[in-house]
Amino acid sequence: MFYRTAGQFKTSYEADHALFPVRQDAYLLGFILLLAFVVFPLTASEFAFRALLIPVLIYSLAALGLNILTGYAGQLSLGTGAFMGVGAYACYKLLTIFPEMNIVIAIAMSGFFSAAVGVLFGLPSLRIKGFYLAIATLAAQFFLVWLFQKWAWLYNYNASGAIQVPNIEMFGITVAGPRAEAITQYYFVLCFVCAMTFFAINITRGRIGRMWKAVRDMDIAAELVGINLMRAKLTAFFVSSYIVGVSGALFVFLWRGAAEANLFDIPLSFRVLFIAIIGGLGSILGNYLGAILIVALPVIIGSVPEAFGIPIGSATVEHLNVMLVGALIITFLIVEPHGLARFWAMIREKLILWPFPH
Amino acid sequence: MKHWIRKAAVSTALVATVMLTGPASAQGDGIYVPNLSYRTGPFASTGTPLMNGQRDYITMLNERDGGLNGTKLVYDECETGYNTEKGVECYEKTKANAVVTQPWSTGITLQVLPKSNVDNIPILAPGYGFSAMADGKVFQWAYNPPSSYWDGAYMILQDISGGDLTTLNGKKIAFLHLDHPFGKEPLPLLEKLSAEHGFELVPIPVGLTEMQNQSAQWLQIRRERPDNVIMWGWGAMNAGAMTEAAKTKYPMDQFYGVWWSGHDGDLKLIGEQGKGYRSISWSVPNSESSLMQDIKKHVIDAGKSQINQGEGEFDSVFYQRGVMISLMLVEGIRAAQEEFDTQNPDAEQVRWGLENITLDEARLAELGAEGMLVPFSTSCADHTGHGGGWILEWDGSKFVKASDLLKADRDVIRPLEEEKAKEYAEANAPWPVNEECSM
Repeated sequence: MFYRTAGQFKTSYEADHALFPVRQDAYLLGFILLLAFVVFPLTASEFAFRALLIPVLIYSLAALGLNILTGYAGQLSLGTGAFMGVGAYACYKLLTIFPEMNIVIAIAMSGFFSAAVGVLFGLPSLRIKGFYLAIATLAAQFFLVWLFQKWAWLYNYNASGAIQVPNIEMFGITVAGPRAEAITQYYFVLCFVCAMTFFAINITRGRIGRMWKAVRDMDIAAELVGINLMRAKLTAFFVSSYIVGVSGALFVFLWRGAAEANLFDIPLSFRVLFIAIIGGLGSILGNYLGAILIVALPVIIGSVPEAFGIPIGSATVEHLNVMLVGALIITFLIVEPHGLARFWAMIREKLILWPFPH
Repeated sequence: MKHWIRKAAVSTALVATVMLTGPASAQGDGIYVPNLSYRTGPFASTGTPLMNGQRDYITMLNERDGGLNGTKLVYDECETGYNTEKGVECYEKTKANAVVTQPWSTGITLQVLPKSNVDNIPILAPGYGFSAMADGKVFQWAYNPPSSYWDGAYMILQDISGGDLTTLNGKKIAFLHLDHPFGKEPLPLLEKLSAEHGFELVPIPVGLTEMQNQSAQWLQIRRERPDNVIMWGWGAMNAGAMTEAAKTKYPMDQFYGVWWSGHDGDLKLIGEQGKGYRSISWSVPNSESSLMQDIKKHVIDAGKSQINQGEGEFDSVFYQRGVMISLMLVEGIRAAQEEFDTQNPDAEQVRWGLENITLDEARLAELGAEGMLVPFSTSCADHTGHGGGWILEWDGSKFVKASDLLKADRDVIRPLEEEKAKEYAEANAPWPVNEECSM
């Protein structure tokens, strides 16, 4: 009923391979975009922007980057946090060396720095795979965080060792720094994330994406059918680190406002990895669902007792929150090990058949 | 299945609406004083007594006097776990009705500091945060009374040198610090003094992940044989350093800590072996004072406190320091009430109040806190007060006061503060400066 596909005929290969073969999917996306671009900005408070909407978008983007590497190309990585750091520090240096530079260009360029570092640390993937590769990227994690701490040039020799975001204007509107309005930052991040998602959807559907999936599913077979393994793996590292780097620049410049090296330590990598796994490896939608579960849900649960006037100490709420979110993660993984994206796909299939299941 | 989906959808929508339209913060009638607490996480052992002290002082005022001049103080905590990300979330959550914000970590303070000019909420960071915040002309909304980290570092050197810093010539001083904005904070001053007075400074950083295992650092200390070790540690790092120092048999009377490294719980781990360890402090516990006795009567015996009574938390340095922090805050609010003749001062008025705190010995005695806090007063140019500090010495079972009031040489520190404040304002341009202040 909701998802009736009857009457939607495909008369060409193009129509069959379109982005939305089922019309209702396009409607749903339109509805979500309407929510994101019109409804949320009209209704949300500043707290909702800063604690829910902006971080969910930025974490989704980081998970999207990791998902391209791990979910599509099958290369395990534990260095996401450090690559985010490379993006953030690169953006900081670009903007302090060239203060006139447009921030959109600076963020877009900072991705290339982390892409370069990503490819460098991706080189071992040509010889090793699986857990061994994960350990190699873990080395990147340790090395880069150490570098952010020790190389004082990166943070302009600040006494505190932290990078601070100055006020940055674009066309007369402050978009980053303490004077920026939350709603401006939200639109900025939203546009960036939408553009990157569009890019990621198309690249994963196309020739390069199919090459990655072939390598993921069986690399020897992929090599036998003529896929250049080196090129496939390194492009995956390049694209993935680029997206991760951009998300790192957004993370610091459009949300946090300041950062120290420890921010990009392993817990951040794990958090992004959890989002990708719980959302669903090898899917684009999953990153958003995962980020909502891991980033937004704790904030929402934490506010529930207060909103309903239940008097519980804030430390107790925090403990309950950790337990509840942990339990939810386990439940979701038991119900659907392939993540929330697969969960949604099953609901969608059921809705297509509804009301006559077989 | 259908009902289940509908139910889930309805409840999600409900929660989402509540969230999007802004959380209903605990305000009601009264002055809302939120605190970004950390009773969880790696620093909980030091955070918990501080938060308990802060909470109990305000509860005591509400119980004993019905609030401040008849207006209840609404104390609220938002748990950060010392995590900067959570801290920012808490700041956004509590700022709407707050007259003050207490970020409780140098990292969170650095995040919140640039926003203070925009949101117009005073930041109270007693004894922590960025030392240059003392310059009130530049940092109109930030306060770190009664002493800054640079004051603290200077006072420790004073005690080491016996009052005359020139005697430090040729000595070697190790600076064991947390590799974090907090730990690096005194480095600019120490470097300057080491160049001026000819002592060798050996900075030894301790990473956040190796806080509890400092064998490498203490191996280095043993090899370097410094004349003194100054520790800028916090939370689990202190306990780690204490046990390592005891293990390597480092002479405790040459070992100094900042005020956040003088926690009874950490020293109790080694007990007698820690005898002689010194820490600078701007507060001294005194359980017999009439203020503490009032807290005992109105809050603790009435069962309204969260403290752990069995462990001697009531007598500890950190619990009573928490009390003193709330006392400073309340004095600021009281000044605002009197100046603007209002029961419910807003954030802007409290900002003025914090700029005009006068806590001299007479006022402290009036509050029943004689000798528990260094006397100080703030002004529009001086947001720290620079009250100085005392040396506390561990006698094997508790901390005792072991010096007269020490005061840092302001002529040495002030230029550095002005320089760093100017740097900060330039890096964060446009940064409004208080032009009216002429002091």
